Amino acid sequence: METTFIKEELLFRQLETAFENVVLEIARKEAVLVYAPKELVAPILLYAKEKLGYKSFSHLSCVDWIENDEFELVYILWSPETKINLFVKTRIERENPIMENTDTIWRQINTYQREIREMFGVEFPGFIGEKEFILEDWEEIPPMRRDFDTLDYVSETFDERPGREDKQDVRERIANRSGEEIPDFAKKYSRE
Amino acid sequence: MREKSTTIYLGPQHPGITGNMMVKLQLEGDTIVKAQTHVGYLHRAFEKLIERRNWMQTTTILCRFCVPEPDPPEAAFALAVEQIEGREVPERGKYLRSLVLELARIQSFMLWYAGQTGSAGLYTVGQWSVGDRNYVLDLFEELTGGRIYHMYIWPGGVRRDIPEGFEDKVLRTMDYIEKRLDDYDRMMFDSAIFQKRAQGVGIINKEKALEWGVVGAPLRGCGIAHDVRKDNPYDAYDKLDFQMGIFEGGDVWARALVRRFEFRQSISMVRQIIQNLPSGDYLNKMPNPMKWTIPAGSAYGKVESVRGEFGFYVVSDGSDKPRRVHAKGPAYVHGVSLLEDVLVGQNLADVSFIMNSLGVCPPEIER
Repeated sequence: METTFIKEELLFRQLETAFENVVLEIARKEAVLVYAPKELVAPILLYAKEKLGYKSFSHLSCVDWIENDEFELVYILWSPETKINLFVKTRIERENPIMENTDTIWRQINTYQREIREMFGVEFPGFIGEKEFILEDWEEIPPMRRDFDTLDYVSETFDERPGREDKQDVRERIANRSGEEIPDFAKKYSRE
Repeated sequence: MREKSTTIYLGPQHPGITGNMMVKLQLEGDTIVKAQTHVGYLHRAFEKLIERRNWMQTTTILCRFCVPEPDPPEAAFALAVEQIEGREVPERGKYLRSLVLELARIQSFMLWYAGQTGSAGLYTVGQWSVGDRNYVLDLFEELTGGRIYHMYIWPGGVRRDIPEGFEDKVLRTMDYIEKRLDDYDRMMFDSAIFQKRAQGVGIINKEKALEWGVVGAPLRGCGIAHDVRKDNPYDAYDKLDFQMGIFEGGDVWARALVRRFEFRQSISMVRQIIQNLPSGDYLNKMPNPMKWTIPAGSAYGKVESVRGEFGFYVVSDGSDKPRRVHAKGPAYVHGVSLLEDVLVGQNLADVSFIMNSLGVCPPEIER
């Protein structure tokens, strides 16, 4: 059976007539995507909220597309009337990333912006929010960026727990002590 | 004479705080004039760790986002992955998922009973409900092997089928819990102390609730009827008969009534699932999990947890590891912007009482 997207197409047309320079896509049932340049994001959010009944703001996320030198910001809205999730996506440059502050449209965006500023280093000029949200005294590059390596950071910053230096195989020691043999199938897990 | 203003830091080590979190309070007398949330005491960088793990390994991390409710994150992630991949879930898998999600709601309601009454100084109900909760955890242990963390809901269905005689045990447990609810009511809702503490305290502005991103019981406690299970039904919820608890007032009392009502609905849903459990496959198997790749794309999967909408924004770049998994738990709004607003004008003694009623779970805010 072919699925029909009647309400999704209605939304598609409304956005198509209201905005030029945006790419629209009906991704699946109850999900419509808008790819917009960054200066159009705030007008789209306002239009969706005031005119299309997208009263509720669900989520703001950031994705690091390091290979394209871009960050993607995704604003997810939800309409209590049509039950459609509207995804507004925009790409900003990775070097010196700046995005318009939108916490005047939905105030909970403030919390998301604090997180994204801290985790990705995206600046939102003009918004008020304490600098530190999750991290404390952080001096490295913003940690959710793809070029931040957790493993390197951990091995450089923290010491190994004492008592593990010899890297002994406890299982082998117990087997030796009690005169037992480790079965063949389990030998592949032994330390060399 | 004007009262002197005092600043105190409530938490992160404080028995009333619902986790590792601090609220900086500015007080005049014992009335709060400004509140500020500080999180970061339990940041485990889960979302960063996930970027180094394959899709299958991710499911073992997700359930640790919020300890009282480990199942909704698994389900939300599974829904998002299925949307990207287009993977169908067999009917039995859908029912078993709803069964686990409803059992998870029940055990979470019981923890909430303990938190909500405990923060009002009524410890008896908490002792009872946490004790009774163990019977639900026994069911989980038999079904999934784990009491708290289950890793049971996989993209494509569930990890294993129910063991023999399990239905009967579930029904017997439900009968027992239902009987106990009257006892809980007598000690909690009939208690003058609880009524006095809860009514008119921690009021959420109804006009602003939807706009501010309030979800779950706090939203329905404002008289606004929204529930992900009704609005965007997933799993077997479109086939189950249940009602949302809608109560007016927006205060702690209304939120407690919502949860009291929905607890009973969950028990009824568990019975319906057991009675109508279809036969057949429970999992639409993925290929070798170590080589499992998901086509490039993104999706937002969301489910209704006890505290409200729990969602995951999942992005795949076509490889065997997620590009980005970003959680949106109800506490993200309830514990920061909403809490800071609701606490103003309240009494210092009500802070943890209000936090419990909003379902603030700090590990979910900072992940």
